[in-house]
Amino acid sequence: MTLGLAKGNSLESPILEIDNLSVIRSGKLILKNINMTVNKGEFIGIVGPNGSGKSTLLLTILGVLKAQEGSIRIYDSKPMSRDLYGKIGWVAQAASNLPRNVRITIKELVYLGTVNAKNMFSFSNKNRRERVKDAIKMVDIKDIENFDVNRVSGGQRQRAVIARALATEAEFILLDEPLVGMDNESRNSLLKLLDSFCHENGKTIIMVSHDLSAIRQTAHRMVFLEETIKFDGMADKFPDLESLANLRGIAHVHEGEHAN
Amino acid sequence: MGIGIVLSDLIFPLFEFISPLVPGEIFPYFFNGKTPSLQRALLSSLIVTSIAGFLGTFLLVRNLAMIGDGLSHVSFGGIVIGIVLGASSPLWYALMASIIASASIYELQSREILTGDAAIAIFMTGMLALGLVILKVSGRAMTTEIESYLFGSQLLIDPASLDLITYISLISLVSLFFIRYGLLAITIDPLSAKVQGLPVKGIGLMFSIITASVVVSMVKIVGALLVTALLVTPAATAQLIGRSFKSCLIWSQIFGFLSVIIGLYISAEYGAGAGSSIALVAATIFVMIAITTEILNNFSTIDN
Repeated sequence: MTLGLAKGNSLESPILEIDNLSVIRSGKLILKNINMTVNKGEFIGIVGPNGSGKSTLLLTILGVLKAQEGSIRIYDSKPMSRDLYGKIGWVAQAASNLPRNVRITIKELVYLGTVNAKNMFSFSNKNRRERVKDAIKMVDIKDIENFDVNRVSGGQRQRAVIARALATEAEFILLDEPLVGMDNESRNSLLKLLDSFCHENGKTIIMVSHDLSAIRQTAHRMVFLEETIKFDGMADKFPDLESLANLRGIAHVHEGEHAN
Repeated sequence: MGIGIVLSDLIFPLFEFISPLVPGEIFPYFFNGKTPSLQRALLSSLIVTSIAGFLGTFLLVRNLAMIGDGLSHVSFGGIVIGIVLGASSPLWYALMASIIASASIYELQSREILTGDAAIAIFMTGMLALGLVILKVSGRAMTTEIESYLFGSQLLIDPASLDLITYISLISLVSLFFIRYGLLAITIDPLSAKVQGLPVKGIGLMFSIITASVVVSMVKIVGALLVTALLVTPAATAQLIGRSFKSCLIWSQIFGFLSVIIGLYISAEYGAGAGSSIALVAATIFVMIAITTEILNNFSTIDN
């Protein structure tokens, strides 16, 4: 569990620094006083109840939502700044985010990850095709690369979207609820895959999920978010249901309903 | 010398070369050069169909299938304003009105304020109404000139119109070719595209301008009622059998050209309207392919 830190990456400057962040969305305070530092190679799972601000946090890190107070620095730049293009990979809930009325193969989708402001007018080249090939290989969907994205299973589609993020050559990958709608087997193999990205490829991952038990077994570090950060620490130190209820200030009779 | 003439000089010999093979009594006149206006009609139809096929494939993904119909009514409003103001070429007014409407529809849709079809409906009815009100107030009648912008006059393409169509189609085709990956990326997943550093707004605006320009140039040829047919039907048919985005682009070209050729043949030989014949053929091809693929799919599921 301490592998990410044991590599000695603490000497490098952190990948993400969130300082006293507050975010207001449609007039409502969603995030308050968030402080968080992420180092290279970490696999962080963010959990919390519905509407606790998990997605808001991701969207603020991406720069889609603006901070009301506080600051975010990614690779020592502001969110959405030019220096970050290609460094961050975004994996949305694939099932809900791809338009249904388009025929596009997995390979074509992954290829879109190699398009950026600089090369969008130029022709495809070997380097970009290699990146597509590698990304597809990494998530192990080579055998279905010519299938229509809308005609594969939810788990396969999720892998395709992750491959698209990998093809951008992103070092820092943010995933929003990637486990939704997956069966147990594909969920476990996806988590294993993400884990190997951190250990073998030096990627840094932040993943938001509802699935507490699944993410707890894989992530190195867990963050429990409910407007503020209620817990931030190594995954094996993550509180059990009763302490969690205490953390959140609710009586433990409710634990069963809330703590997923 | 306009670009239309250059293109005619290149393509017409080809038409004449294949004209002995063309069936029918009147249909060969589209090819053999005895009636240059018919050759121009065929050429301009093919040009417009080609760009419509590419554009339509993207429009379908964005749920903007009805934009052809919508913008043609918007351009009607623009034409009327232009004519009342005494403009020598009201087409520019139509173009401006369409570009503004198209960009606004895009904005409303990407900000998730309205769905594509609701935004189209508002601009379509608003501008059509504006045109009709201005016509009445200014005491003008619906002249054939105004009418031709709404319903098209495919067989009356003069060299100047061919020029205009060729310019707009060529520029649109080249622009679309260059932004195709960026456009596909921002269409499929705008947020990921933004994170990657793609100029989402710029590409969106460019797509809106291309769409508006193509629609305005098409309306004069196939007419407002049939713009949608060429924009949507071949692209939709392509989606039935295409397995990838690239193959859909190619299939939409094939179905578009087929519709034009067969449609013009029917129109020439049986005296039906050119635009309506093309639209009818396009729709017929769609139905035939839809039924065939459905039957084939059923067979393959039974086999499994």
